[in-house]
Amino acid sequence: MENDFRSLKLLDHLQFVFRKLGINYPVMRKILEMKLTMDQRRVPTIFSGNASEKKEGNQFVKSLWIYALYGIILIFFIFIGDNYMFQLGIIFGISMFILMTSLISDFSTVLLDVRDKTILHTKPVDDRTINAAKIVHLTLYMLMMTGAFLGIPAIVMLIYHGVGYFLLFLVSTVWMILFIIALTALVYIFILRHFNGDKLQDIINYVQIILSICLVIGYQVAIRVFDFVDLDIVYHFSWWHVFLPPIWFAAPFELILHHNTAVSTIVLSIIALLLPLIAIYLYYRLMPAFERNLEKLLDQTAMGKEKKRPFVAMWEKLLCRSNVERAYFRLAYILMGEERDFKLKVYPSLGIAMVFPFIFIFSQTQSFAEVSKGNGYFNIYLALLFIGVTVSMLRFSSKYKAAWILHAAPVEDVTKSYSAALKAMLIKLLLPIFMLIAVVFILIFSVRIIPDMLIVGTVAVPQTLISYKLLKGEDFPFSEKFEATS
Amino acid sequence: MGEEKVLSLSNLVMRYPNKQVLNGINLDVYPGQIIGYIGPNGAGKSTTIKIILGLVSGYEGTVEIFGKNIATGGHDYKRRIGYVPENADVYDQLTAMEYLAFVGELYGMKREHAAEKANQMLAAFDLEERAHARASSFSKGMRQKVLIISSLLHDPDLIFLDEPLSGLDANSVMIVKELLEKLAERGKTIFYSSHIMDVVEKISNRIVLLTDGHIAADGTFEELRKESKEGSLEGIFNQLTGFVGHEETAISIADLITGAAAYGE
Repeated sequence: MENDFRSLKLLDHLQFVFRKLGINYPVMRKILEMKLTMDQRRVPTIFSGNASEKKEGNQFVKSLWIYALYGIILIFFIFIGDNYMFQLGIIFGISMFILMTSLISDFSTVLLDVRDKTILHTKPVDDRTINAAKIVHLTLYMLMMTGAFLGIPAIVMLIYHGVGYFLLFLVSTVWMILFIIALTALVYIFILRHFNGDKLQDIINYVQIILSICLVIGYQVAIRVFDFVDLDIVYHFSWWHVFLPPIWFAAPFELILHHNTAVSTIVLSIIALLLPLIAIYLYYRLMPAFERNLEKLLDQTAMGKEKKRPFVAMWEKLLCRSNVERAYFRLAYILMGEERDFKLKVYPSLGIAMVFPFIFIFSQTQSFAEVSKGNGYFNIYLALLFIGVTVSMLRFSSKYKAAWILHAAPVEDVTKSYSAALKAMLIKLLLPIFMLIAVVFILIFSVRIIPDMLIVGTVAVPQTLISYKLLKGEDFPFSEKFEATS
Repeated sequence: MGEEKVLSLSNLVMRYPNKQVLNGINLDVYPGQIIGYIGPNGAGKSTTIKIILGLVSGYEGTVEIFGKNIATGGHDYKRRIGYVPENADVYDQLTAMEYLAFVGELYGMKREHAAEKANQMLAAFDLEERAHARASSFSKGMRQKVLIISSLLHDPDLIFLDEPLSGLDANSVMIVKELLEKLAERGKTIFYSSHIMDVVEKISNRIVLLTDGHIAADGTFEELRKESKEGSLEGIFNQLTGFVGHEETAISIADLITGAAAYGE
């Protein structure tokens, strides 16, 4: 490891703090160096859409540019309204969402690294040093991410709102980061205590998917939001605002800068000050329990109930002729629902396919009555766009090596296995999305569009076949490694 | 043995661009044989098995299974073959039952039949409780049991096993060893590949030793022992593969270990 990390050199200046806390600094530095080196070989979710080739260097550092880009959206909110509760509520809301989902999707591996257990905890290194390395590692990244995301907006704030606002924003941001880290960890602690590791992995998987969807949709919405520049919103406190963390962090601005001494503002400010501290303290207290529960990620005692899959049973009887085809149908159907890597690559485009038709209809400045008389329902074709991507993904599996059984078994017809997989895709992924959009569209545009919907549904089939032809799948589905091409 | 040949390899040659892996293998195998198929790493054992299973093409020579040339006879012969590769992956997003039913169906069984049989075999291997858990939560031994079951579910006549005992606990090891004997008594043919010579010595009634892509020895353990004058299969293996000086190697490694510790002080 001949890597020199600037962050570690900066950390060297703070080593007295760690030594004071009884942490073995050289060992902690070694661990961090190893972790940072490994991170250079990892691709973050925010990038995963177009990770076409192996790139050198820390992908995370490069992804910071994207965070900076998304941060620019925040600038717009700095100028709206005079009420800080509303203005900063939105800014903190977006920041918390982006930072927390990124933390969950990209740094869960850091928080939940079970390899630490076998590799580090078996060595003559004390727990305090290992835990310190973990927290410093996480904090380093959160600082970089927050810096990239909020850096430009913060400068704009300094210019537009002055030094007081800027400093208060810096302090609140640090408080917010502490809160996010502690909250994420506490959520993990809760999940691990009540569910098994598999459930946690599933939840993380879905957060990753939601992050990818929201980034694309957020971009679409953000472009259109500029049409509402003249909106003038008056903030009224309601009791349930106590449960909205972004509002807490906005309250001190009202209190200190606007001298708004309403009871609600004071209460919210106190919450903003205290709750992150309480969360961090709780995290610190529950850390040993957390480490113990991490064992569950290696859990090998899950019993599981038999999963009846009545839908699969029905569809395979309707759509497949031979036993073998039915077997492939079922395999494809289950894998599409259970495989996390596949879901991470495909489900975001499903979510987008589901939302885009609506965004495109309602972004036109027409009244609802006008829309419902128009031909906006053609936008349902947008929902079919994901078919191409999904078909090309059917080749891959994170368990691609398991495909040996397909070769060893007395089945040589790749085409048949693909036709079963394509059918499963249409049923499992397209049908629910299509039905949902179609039903909502029929509600909007009246029953006159039912024939159109039927035609669109039928078009999906040849489109799937054409996508498959273009793909020229020569090997069995689910038999190639994800990274190879995508 | 005038019975029908189960497997017949003649002049089997396999070349990769930079290396010749098999230099003309000739082998006839009959029902009821348990063949200990051994050899050093890279001798060509798994290549042979992959050719027989149709996983690798581009070989020279002929491979006949149940009297039919596999190059021309279609893939139907695979129905009578069971295969457990070494360290094999399974689609572990599926539950054990789902995987076994899937494999059973690939081999032409009815799903209900495959599922019922799989359930009984899982129970026999003490895995009944985990039948409906995702295989990703399985330990190495449990996964190995699932693999063994998946290879036997369709009642094959020719069975290829590559390190089938790895990860199994002592009780399961005894069951599997005994099971192989019983299957052979019922006329099944078993190819048993392993690096653990003690087990091969006990299990097999015929030993085939492969080195550098050719067969260096073929016979019962007794026959090999008479020929080589070594007491154990391990000794015979070392002698035939030309390996000497394991003690010297061990000593020099031990020197490195203790010597390094001295420097570290």
